[in-house]
Amino acid sequence: MDVTTLRAKLDAAHYIYDESLVTTLLVALQLGRPLLIEGAAGVGKTEIAKVMAAALDRELVRLQCYEGLDESKALYEWNYQKQLLSIQAHMGAKTPDELTKSLFSDEYLLERPLLRSIRSEEPVVLLIDEIDKADEEFEAFLLELLSEMQVTIPEIGTIHARTVPFVVLTSNRTRPLSEALRRRCAYLYIQYPDLEKEVAIIQARRPNVNERLAVQVARAVQALRDNQAILKKPSIAETLDWVAALEALGLSDLTAEAAERTKGFVLKNSEDWAAMAGQPEGHRHCGGCGEGQ
Amino acid sequence: MRESVYVEKLTAFSALLRQEGLAVGLQETADACQILEELALTDRSAVRAALCAVYAKSRPEQEAFYRAFDSFFVSAEQRRANLARRAEEAAELERRKAQAEEELQVNGQPMDLRDDLREVYVRMPEEKREHLRQLMEKTKENMDRSPQLYSNFIRSVFMRFLLEQQMVMEDAAVGCESADPDLALLWKDISGFKDADIPRAAALIARITQQLNAELSRRRQRGGHSGGLDFKKTIRRGLETGGSFFRLSFRKKRKRRRMLVLLCDVSGSMLQFSEFALRFIKSMAEVSEASRTFLFSETLHEVDAFALQNMDAFRDYVRTSGLYGKGTDLGTALEQLCARRPPVLGPSATLLILSDTKTIDLPRALADLAQAKRQAGKVLWLNPIPERKWGYVRSIQTVSALCQMAPCSTLEELARACGRLMRQ
Repeated sequence: MDVTTLRAKLDAAHYIYDESLVTTLLVALQLGRPLLIEGAAGVGKTEIAKVMAAALDRELVRLQCYEGLDESKALYEWNYQKQLLSIQAHMGAKTPDELTKSLFSDEYLLERPLLRSIRSEEPVVLLIDEIDKADEEFEAFLLELLSEMQVTIPEIGTIHARTVPFVVLTSNRTRPLSEALRRRCAYLYIQYPDLEKEVAIIQARRPNVNERLAVQVARAVQALRDNQAILKKPSIAETLDWVAALEALGLSDLTAEAAERTKGFVLKNSEDWAAMAGQPEGHRHCGGCGEGQ
Repeated sequence: MRESVYVEKLTAFSALLRQEGLAVGLQETADACQILEELALTDRSAVRAALCAVYAKSRPEQEAFYRAFDSFFVSAEQRRANLARRAEEAAELERRKAQAEEELQVNGQPMDLRDDLREVYVRMPEEKREHLRQLMEKTKENMDRSPQLYSNFIRSVFMRFLLEQQMVMEDAAVGCESADPDLALLWKDISGFKDADIPRAAALIARITQQLNAELSRRRQRGGHSGGLDFKKTIRRGLETGGSFFRLSFRKKRKRRRMLVLLCDVSGSMLQFSEFALRFIKSMAEVSEASRTFLFSETLHEVDAFALQNMDAFRDYVRTSGLYGKGTDLGTALEQLCARRPPVLGPSATLLILSDTKTIDLPRALADLAQAKRQAGKVLWLNPIPERKWGYVRSIQTVSALCQMAPCSTLEELARACGRLMRQ
């Protein structure tokens, strides 16, 4: 795939991108490497995997990581109850060896996202979301999959990938990831979008919103993110929610009053509300109100 | 590695990246060659982004990569300009050092100063240089009486002042501020925080504690979670299904609650430090499961630390409670703490004291500390005075002989101390 094709596909998926993002995606695709994406919460890391699935016309297989995630939830699990019933049903009809062999076959294997992604007939996009929330052991376990595109199941043996998935890993940096994992990936760091890009995102996702409101909201959100006193910076999804809320109320201008009524969609804790209220007069409503007219 | 037109150049670039601290192996160089050949990138920014994706694997590595890329892949014209600029900067520094040598004359001779200290003199703010010049001017009349004595005296004053300045510049992470303001804040003395630093410091604390919590929670789970099969329960449940162990039961992790008693000094200069330290410790979810917080100056007050997370609320409380503006009486505070009924301290409690050890009636405070130590399972002391100065404060030496003490003058030290505390 070349740059032009990838750009066309991202455009078709209505994704707003910059050139460095396209180049990095292209590098990962070309080298067949997993793509590790880091950045603050809500900058659109997960969205990239979804968009790539749409752009490459592949199924998206998602593995959401959490503390305590292990192989049985990520890779495979034997259907224990079914095996137990099978033993009772076939006892006497089969020899013990035959019975044992039949119990560890595909019929009793419960595929989890990782196994599903490499056994799929068609290549998929595998999203391993918030890898920083999983334990270090799980990270180590992923290494075999990411570098060799194979996994080992003790009862069956090594399973090689039928098709190579495009793997996207995301991390909010709540803990540092291992060097070994990083080295196997192409790396991308996403920052919050600049004003121009944020306006473009609003217009792409909410095509009915007028340009003036889009600019006002984008400016206000930028001001909130720049405000050191705001602890939870608004994400892109929150920007879109804010626009949606203003639209739902039939408001076409981000006035001080409109911002006050809808602030719950963009700031999610009382300290941040207080910080917003504490801004100097004229900037009280996040800095963007009444501008861009 | 395949023969590539880019091999030579990229090998040299990889070597430069290794010098910058990036873990670059043959694989990365091979990948870089492959990318440049196959993607036929012509735009400089696209090449930069593509190589960055291959070589840099974290945010700090990206920063290092960009620096290396911009200095390595330059046009001949730009390289010449860079060299000229660097030469100009070096010449300017030399000129200012020579000027400093002229300024700092003692008995008609240039003052005997090390080159690095002369550089400190040149780089420090003009008002500080003026302060030193005025000092020289004021003491000039002594020169005629004893030139040698005067020379030694003025040199020792300068040496001390410049060494202090050197230390302050290192402490304040001068130069680092522009590169990464948050990093600079991490190493800055907490007592030197300005109002503008406070929101950034609070955000930094939230980020560090989030990382520490995640790390500790994982460690605890690994260490404490048995995950083993509960045989008794499985057999009992198996009876419901005719003896088949259709549903397996596993043991659950037993939660361990720990008791933490915080004793925060809020007198005078300790106020700012205590607010930060309290915020830090309370935001560590694992600790706050079971803890009690006491503030003291001359008397002891128990507080709900969650209600005081906000800096303004904390200061308002300290002012209205009558603790503000008083001296430090650790002895009374510990005595009142030990005398509380039902007892606050016990064998399963860890007493964490946040104070600079400067208290009235030190002998009584030490006796009460020994009593508290007998009652509590463990006593830890977080001290905001930098460790290098401990040798000069007698009370610190005495107290540190009685209990474990950790330096916490910066957020980085505070994070390290809290991390250590949680792991115990």
